[in-house]
Amino acid sequence: MNFEINWGIVWPILALQAVLAVTALISLARTATEAVRGPKWMWVLVIIAGNLAGSIAYFVGGRRDA
Amino acid sequence: MRLFWVFFHKEVIEAARSYKWIWVPAVFLLLGVMQPVMMYYLPDILRASGELPPEAAALITTPPPEEIIASTLSQFSTIGLLVLVLSAMNIVAGERTSGTTEMILSRSSSVLTMMTAKWAATMSLLLLSFALGYAGAVYYTYQLIGPLEWGTLAGAGAVYAVWLAWIVTLLLPLGAVFRGPAAAFLSLGIAAALTLLASLLPSQLPWSPGRLSAIATAMLTGESSPTFAPALAAVLLIILSTVAASVLLRRRPLSAQA
Amino acid sequence: MTNSLLYIRNLSKSIGSITPVKGISFELERGSCTALLGPNGAGKTTTLRMLAGLLSPSGGEIQYEGGGKSGRDWQKRIGYLPQYPKFYGWMTGMEYLIFSAKLSGLSGAQARKRSLEVLDTVGLREAAKRRIAGYSGGMKQRLGIAQSLVHEPSLIMLDEPVSALDPIGRREVMDLLSRLRGEVTILFSTHVLHDAEEVCDRMVVMVDGRIAEQGSWTELREKYRQPVLLLEVEPAAREEAWLRTLPGMPFVESADIRSRTAALAVRDLDQARNALMREMSDSRIRFQRIEAGTSSLEDMFMKVVGG
Repeated sequence: MNFEINWGIVWPILALQAVLAVTALISLARTATEAVRGPKWMWVLVIIAGNLAGSIAYFVGGRRDA
Repeated sequence: MRLFWVFFHKEVIEAARSYKWIWVPAVFLLLGVMQPVMMYYLPDILRASGELPPEAAALITTPPPEEIIASTLSQFSTIGLLVLVLSAMNIVAGERTSGTTEMILSRSSSVLTMMTAKWAATMSLLLLSFALGYAGAVYYTYQLIGPLEWGTLAGAGAVYAVWLAWIVTLLLPLGAVFRGPAAAFLSLGIAAALTLLASLLPSQLPWSPGRLSAIATAMLTGESSPTFAPALAAVLLIILSTVAASVLLRRRPLSAQA
Repeated sequence: MTNSLLYIRNLSKSIGSITPVKGISFELERGSCTALLGPNGAGKTTTLRMLAGLLSPSGGEIQYEGGGKSGRDWQKRIGYLPQYPKFYGWMTGMEYLIFSAKLSGLSGAQARKRSLEVLDTVGLREAAKRRIAGYSGGMKQRLGIAQSLVHEPSLIMLDEPVSALDPIGRREVMDLLSRLRGEVTILFSTHVLHDAEEVCDRMVVMVDGRIAEQGSWTELREKYRQPVLLLEVEPAAREEAWLRTLPGMPFVESADIRSRTAALAVRDLDQARNALMREMSDSRIRFQRIEAGTSSLEDMFMKVVGG
């Protein structure tokens, strides 16, 4: 890369992604195992590796209705 | 009115317990912020990747601020709308299929109050998320690319919010009949069909609420088209949907007798 | 009657081509406990839903004491527990009760106070701050009864409150109902006669959308006390053929004939006993067992429900 990235611009994006992932992980940790669709460890991988889409996927489809 | 607040409060807490107040606005804010940043760095990235000849890369320049906002709106129309619809799809369908309505309606027969509260709570989430995302996009565009005109921004934002609102409101009557995912699929389908139809036949359907997203984009780039008829149609559709949802839920609020 | 809380006259409900409730009439006295008894599919749930204002009747009349003809004004004075109560799993027990109380018009402070009271009544004070998703079946049912009581209704209607519970949960709920008796008018539906007997003083028996029988427990016991002769014979063709001739005998009022046994309801026990003995010795019937006794409500219930 031969151009400068202005970190002042980029860090809020990274921070927001982190907020989303952390919220998803907290929600996952506080949800009973039976109420989670599929194994929990799979969702941990999806949330961490999947960036924005991973967290959205968890929030939309990861939990069964109580 | 007191009942409305009781129901509204319940909806707000429910959304909070499933973290909706955090993740939906966060997704919109990300979408809003990412678009101007991407556009700003696009020429640099293309040049750095070396896949384009330098002459071609030189032709690619950062578009004007209004166009960046318009492209952000198109992001909201795809991922943003999908997220809103998926997060709200069970707001009526969930209550009906799980059977929680039976005890609730044995207390207060006002389904309309309950439905209005559900609508208001959903709209609060929608407006908060869109406002944050839009503000993020405007702020970054202003900082990175150039000035924008406030009046135009406010007008386009308001028109666009009405477009989002009527599509999400469709989930109420659809949820009173279908299960959550089916309701979500149908509301997105109806939205896509109306929006496509409105863009194919703009002169035949000047009042179509499907035109609102296109009108918002056009406003940003300086064209003006009549907004009143489609906005009115959207508001009527919202009222009709909420009332229809109440009637449908009132008619069959009960799970099948075992 | 001046002491009645609720009158139902000729109430019926049709849904499409089926008519689950075909014109029923009964009254509930203030402070009474009435069991709505009947087999599955008798129309109990439909009846209770109409009384709770969830379904509108196709015909007939529901009249609450002092109220209008519709259930609407009365919803605040009724507590209703559906057969399969469903709660918001994300709420705590306390939150659900406060929400319910507010929907019935209580102020915030009142709702909180009443919620704590009913949590004590049903023994859920400890679990008040836990999410309902983690409650057991018995706890949910008790929470359901708590929500039916929270707004201090004059009448609570419970649809099969114990049928989905395990023996422990069932005991908890039955004890609770016995304690509530007298404090509030209770109407509860069940298909188990024993449950009805345990807590209620009156019953209404519904079969196939109609009322088959109703009255106080003692009245009905008396009414269905009838001498019976029970007879069991050797498993042989001749004996079995003879059993089938019994319903035609003059001393038999009604008979329930199975392959090797007969239960004969008779008017005069002594006369019937003699006649039967003579008949048996004449036909040289090889019996295994003869017993004289009285029929009970259980027999009546089995007959009504089975027939």
